[in-house]
Amino acid sequence: MHGSNNARNCTLQTGEGRLPACAPLAVPFVPFQQEQPQKYEARKGLVRGTLFPGLDLPFMDMVNTGELPDTPLHELQALGFAIQELALYLDTHREDTDALELYRAYQELHRNGLKEYEKTYGPLSHQSTAGSDRYAWLDDPWPWEYTPCPGKRRCQDPKMTGKCEMKEA
Amino acid sequence: MFSYEKKLQYPVKIERPNPRLASVIISQYGGPDGELGASMRYLSQRYSMPFDELKGLLTDIGTEELSHLEMVAAIIHQLTRNLKTKDIVGTSLEPYFVDHTVGVYPTAASGFPWTAASIAVKGDPLTDLTEDLAAEQKARTTYDNILRLSDDPDVNDVIKFLREREIVHFQRFGEAIQLLRERLSQKNVYTMNPAFDR
Repeated sequence: MHGSNNARNCTLQTGEGRLPACAPLAVPFVPFQQEQPQKYEARKGLVRGTLFPGLDLPFMDMVNTGELPDTPLHELQALGFAIQELALYLDTHREDTDALELYRAYQELHRNGLKEYEKTYGPLSHQSTAGSDRYAWLDDPWPWEYTPCPGKRRCQDPKMTGKCEMKEA
Repeated sequence: MFSYEKKLQYPVKIERPNPRLASVIISQYGGPDGELGASMRYLSQRYSMPFDELKGLLTDIGTEELSHLEMVAAIIHQLTRNLKTKDIVGTSLEPYFVDHTVGVYPTAASGFPWTAASIAVKGDPLTDLTEDLAAEQKARTTYDNILRLSDDPDVNDVIKFLREREIVHFQRFGEAIQLLRERLSQKNVYTMNPAFDR
């Protein structure tokens, strides 16, 4: 192993507590995340801030345990998050075909979800106003505003009026 | 090019305004380890990266940091909504308020305006990626400290998300260093600068 050309062959055994002898000196070393790692589904991943249980390392057990209310916007955010997380993973694991397949599956869901969302709630990018008869891009709400009903253009849905708190899982 | 999506990466919905919390969380907007510095650091470093994984990773993480910048701004904006002067008098938001009212301005909580002096672009990939490891840890510690100072569940919900992203980014930068190292001299990784001595 000494002088190995492939740093990823140079794996650290759990509990070993030291780098293997083949690890080079004087370079920062973060172990590679194994291929085909365990994954949360997208909605849980969004709430936890990572799709990977192995990287889910909270501060003082302060954990987001609830679920986001079931709204079309949250669904889109969860899919967008899964795509982003898998993109960063694939940037350093381009050969993990399982991850690539999952990435494509989430892309497909996101594409369809976005189309449906924009039909009901208006454009998420100004380009998507092209087919509409008026310039709906300017319509409220802008994302940084406090909206008691996330993902709703207005509180038309009586179930969504009032507080939309995290519901406990 | 960049284009804008009219949604946040993670929902921000803060029910109770809180000027004190706004005065500390502003540090993650324009402080030394904040999201503005993070995005500028990575999006600037990528130009001297010699390998495609490194160009891609810095682009993708740098872009995500812009989404985090927007989320931090949304927190500040919502924590300061509908405030009256009497709500601000006597709180730690006073010094910020006198300069910026409740606009969102990139500054550290200590009052120092955002400065490129808190980031680095050294033009040497191993050096820059090592800086990035440290940057993610510093941002994580800042979020830890915000969690110590805040007991607002709506705020902490978002801060926990942002904090966890720092850990994931740290992991990816660490992997990027391994990918870089495989392409450097195995005998001496410091024999030259692969961004300059080609």
